[in-house]
Amino acid sequence: MTSEPSAIRREPDWFKRAVFYEVLLRGFADSDSDGSGDIRGLQSKLDYLQWLGVDCLWLPPFFMSPLRDGGYDVSDYTVILPDYGTIDDFKAFLDEAHARGIRVIIDFVMNHTSDAHPWFQSSRSDPDGPYGDYYIWNDDDTRFPDARIIFVDTEPSNWTFDPVRKQYYWHRFFSHQPDLNFDSPEVQADILNALRFWLDLGIDGFRLDAVPYLYVRDGTNGENLPETHEFLRRVRKEVDRDYPDRVLLCEANQWPADVVAYFGDPNVGDECHMAFHFPVMPRIFMAVRRESRYPISEIMAQTPSIPDNCQWGIFLRNHDELTLEMVTDEERDYMWAEYAKDPRMKANIGIRRRLAPLLENDLNQIELFTALLLALPGSPVLYYGDEIGMGDNIWLGDRDGVRTPMQWTPDRNAGFSTCDPGRLYLPVNMDSLYGYQVTNVEAQTRNTSSLLHWTRRMIHVRKANPAFGMGTFTDLGGSNPCVLSFVREFGDDIVLCVNNLSRFAQPVELDLRPWSGSAPIELIGGSQFPVIGELPYLLTLSGHGFYWLRLPRRAEDVSS
Amino acid sequence: MNHTAGLQPLIAAWLPQQRWFGGKGRDIESFELHALDHLGDATTIWVVDVGYVDSTTETYQVPLVLHEHPVDSLEHVLLGTIGEDGGTRWVYDALHDKDSTTKWLEGIRDGRDSGRLRFALTAEPESIPVAESSLAMGGEQSNTSLMYGDIAILKVFRRLQPGVNPDVEVQEALSRLGAAHVPRLLGHVESTVDGELTSLAMLQEYMTTATDGWELAKASVRDLMAEADLHAEEAGGDFAAEAARLGIAVAEVHRDLAIAFGTSRTSGAAWQARTHAMRAKLDEALRIVPALDEVAPGLRALYTEAAGAAADGLATQRIHADLHLGQALRTVHRWVLIDFEGEPMADIATRRAPDSALRDIAGMLRSFDYAGHHRVIEATGSTPQLAYRAEEWAQRNRNAFCDGYAEGAGFDPRTQGAILRAFEAEKAVYEAVYEARNRPSWLAIPLASLHGLVEPKAAAS
Repeated sequence: MTSEPSAIRREPDWFKRAVFYEVLLRGFADSDSDGSGDIRGLQSKLDYLQWLGVDCLWLPPFFMSPLRDGGYDVSDYTVILPDYGTIDDFKAFLDEAHARGIRVIIDFVMNHTSDAHPWFQSSRSDPDGPYGDYYIWNDDDTRFPDARIIFVDTEPSNWTFDPVRKQYYWHRFFSHQPDLNFDSPEVQADILNALRFWLDLGIDGFRLDAVPYLYVRDGTNGENLPETHEFLRRVRKEVDRDYPDRVLLCEANQWPADVVAYFGDPNVGDECHMAFHFPVMPRIFMAVRRESRYPISEIMAQTPSIPDNCQWGIFLRNHDELTLEMVTDEERDYMWAEYAKDPRMKANIGIRRRLAPLLENDLNQIELFTALLLALPGSPVLYYGDEIGMGDNIWLGDRDGVRTPMQWTPDRNAGFSTCDPGRLYLPVNMDSLYGYQVTNVEAQTRNTSSLLHWTRRMIHVRKANPAFGMGTFTDLGGSNPCVLSFVREFGDDIVLCVNNLSRFAQPVELDLRPWSGSAPIELIGGSQFPVIGELPYLLTLSGHGFYWLRLPRRAEDVSS
Repeated sequence: MNHTAGLQPLIAAWLPQQRWFGGKGRDIESFELHALDHLGDATTIWVVDVGYVDSTTETYQVPLVLHEHPVDSLEHVLLGTIGEDGGTRWVYDALHDKDSTTKWLEGIRDGRDSGRLRFALTAEPESIPVAESSLAMGGEQSNTSLMYGDIAILKVFRRLQPGVNPDVEVQEALSRLGAAHVPRLLGHVESTVDGELTSLAMLQEYMTTATDGWELAKASVRDLMAEADLHAEEAGGDFAAEAARLGIAVAEVHRDLAIAFGTSRTSGAAWQARTHAMRAKLDEALRIVPALDEVAPGLRALYTEAAGAAADGLATQRIHADLHLGQALRTVHRWVLIDFEGEPMADIATRRAPDSALRDIAGMLRSFDYAGHHRVIEATGSTPQLAYRAEEWAQRNRNAFCDGYAEGAGFDPRTQGAILRAFEAEKAVYEAVYEARNRPSWLAIPLASLHGLVEPKAAAS
């Protein structure tokens, strides 16, 4: 039934080189004119994604759900929400993606289900039945007092009373999302079976949501417990054995020093293949605001090394922003001290905005941020629409403001759907700066100087240089604190990245003696720069300008 | 292998042109050189006594290397040639010759002691980067520094003074304490020159990727000045959090210095004498900078007030003694203070003398004033608004620095207002003389500060 042969080859390191792209099914393309994006719609846009250079799509949850938390409240792990399509649609989409060399990872929420899940309904109505112990029940709401409440704005307690079972159930997030009881062997088996269901369909991995909270124990804060790691090791072992080249991407919204535990054993890496590096994005933002490399240099220096077979995931924007509350333990940390005192930083980072409006649509800054995303250690995760500089709709509120329909054309509904405009799941952006009549894929495809073409070029340059994905990272410092300079090195591929974080033109002198005799080549245009000698190497950069320079091992490499 | 006679004219021509030569413009009577020790076959450390017409002398360290053939890469440090025909040797400054400079590191690693030249190792031998080639850094006033990769930096003292160099002494003591805010001393070189123990060079950990505080502060000021009408605390490049962290670091260095070298107390009489010396310097400065007339009465009153504020003496300890933003390096982990040499022009005993920690704080506060106002001097078409914002930046960061110091030290230097202001005034008077002689357009900065010091505003520190 596979329509086209897969272009995916065995490649255990693929995720270390890959450019990821987060795409909301509901927001990308509508194939059946019901106003809401779907799997077939996404499939119809695979050529675009391939042209852009995307290696792997990340799909947030599309399972059966009452949608009280964006689909992160799952009511059936093996059924697709009918709005999006069917399992057959998904299989066809997967084959088409693989035929284009594009991999697909999907969100998987292990920690909890929706209260609408049949397991929970059975558990509350039949305490002694087969699902009686699938959740964590207690006669009062005083157990696990050390576990903090994460959603302090909406939840008074981690326990909620169920009038049917007449007991309290445990939940670390919303009260409509009861936590599964991973002490139950049946829960473990059912979760593993659900994972296998999707792996058997051919997906390339999972983003595992909210993993630190799987287990809770008396006398602990219920985060990062040894039992949680043990279960992840079990998942990893089964995946490695039966499904090679699939990845587990862990979402643990914590400080990098704590997140490394989710890679497992530092020598072999036996838990997740990837984890998000949350502080990178706010640090980039802070560095540009302060016109200083230290916010970035410092977090890179504080980032521990990870096992060879692992990789960070980094992003500028997605729906998992770093919240200040997550880092308050680091009282003396640079970012906390700076954030807490700067109202503009606090206002901008907590709120979900798209990249372009966050940077006031300053093209130089958008390009600098994107260049940093593509060059810093880790696999970059792009957010759909940011490649054309889409705006957000703040009137829709935090959650939906960045989830408006993808803007394909200047036509009705931005080419996203042919339905009546009133039927759209969210209105398309229509403001004068970011509206679909101005900002859309069609227009930017035709204009080769557009942000879209620029982004595509940069992605392709990144992919041509394995140092970006696989290389070591060395901060060069340099004479000018406004300029962040670093070298990525992988075998013979050596790339020097020089970034001016200031609005103003800056000179910088770099000590490049380790590469003495090499003549740098600018990666985008191919111009050759003066040969590196013994003296400090002088570069001048325009405001928010940057260079990617390849350093050939020897000068004679250049002339050929 | 005695080339003394042949080298004499070469050194006499070359030495006075070096940036680190301190006797520029003075009438020289004699150059006397003698070889201190040889480092291998071709490299020799020479000591040159320069005698002046006024019968004072200065001693310089000049390591030279002789090559049998000209070396292109060393052409810029060629002194000339000696010998004739087949015996001709090309003479170069050895600190630029990579084969020569390795010998300093090997000596330190091996703790070599020739009797004439003693290399001391103060860290584990593996931490000495003998495999790295050196790069001489330019532009220094009294030393020549060599960088070995991004691992270590060798500071070769050009002008020799009897006694252990304070920088060597302080870094060795603080390294032993495991102090976080100074570079680690890896080793040093000393000898007996004219019968006295003399420091020749020191090797310390290089603060990789660091930037000095002056550059960082300037970037912040530049950012503020480019805004249309933002206040200092609203600007993106706000420096106050860094200034506060720097204050904490300085407080911790003072604490470490007190542990390593002890504390003492000057008598009330000694402090009185000190304030009299401040007055004397003011009187001297008045002859050079007439514009000081306006503030002189106020400054005298301030010195009197300061004298009374510590009538029964003042706590003293070993201090940095020449602290300013340029002596603070921001690494990716923390602030680090460097250059514990004290005022390079003073003799070593003076440079090592205990003093009030407030003097270091005053030095840093002066530096914040300079950083804040430097754009006003450099910018064309300076406006009152620019000056106002420069002052706002300086005040904000001076206060943040003092806040940080108070947090780190457990005492707020601003509570000793009169004494702190007196130290600041002393430094600003010195600056006024310096600027009047060297950079008249900058004179406005110390003058404005002195006006502020004699008419303290409520919020000013």
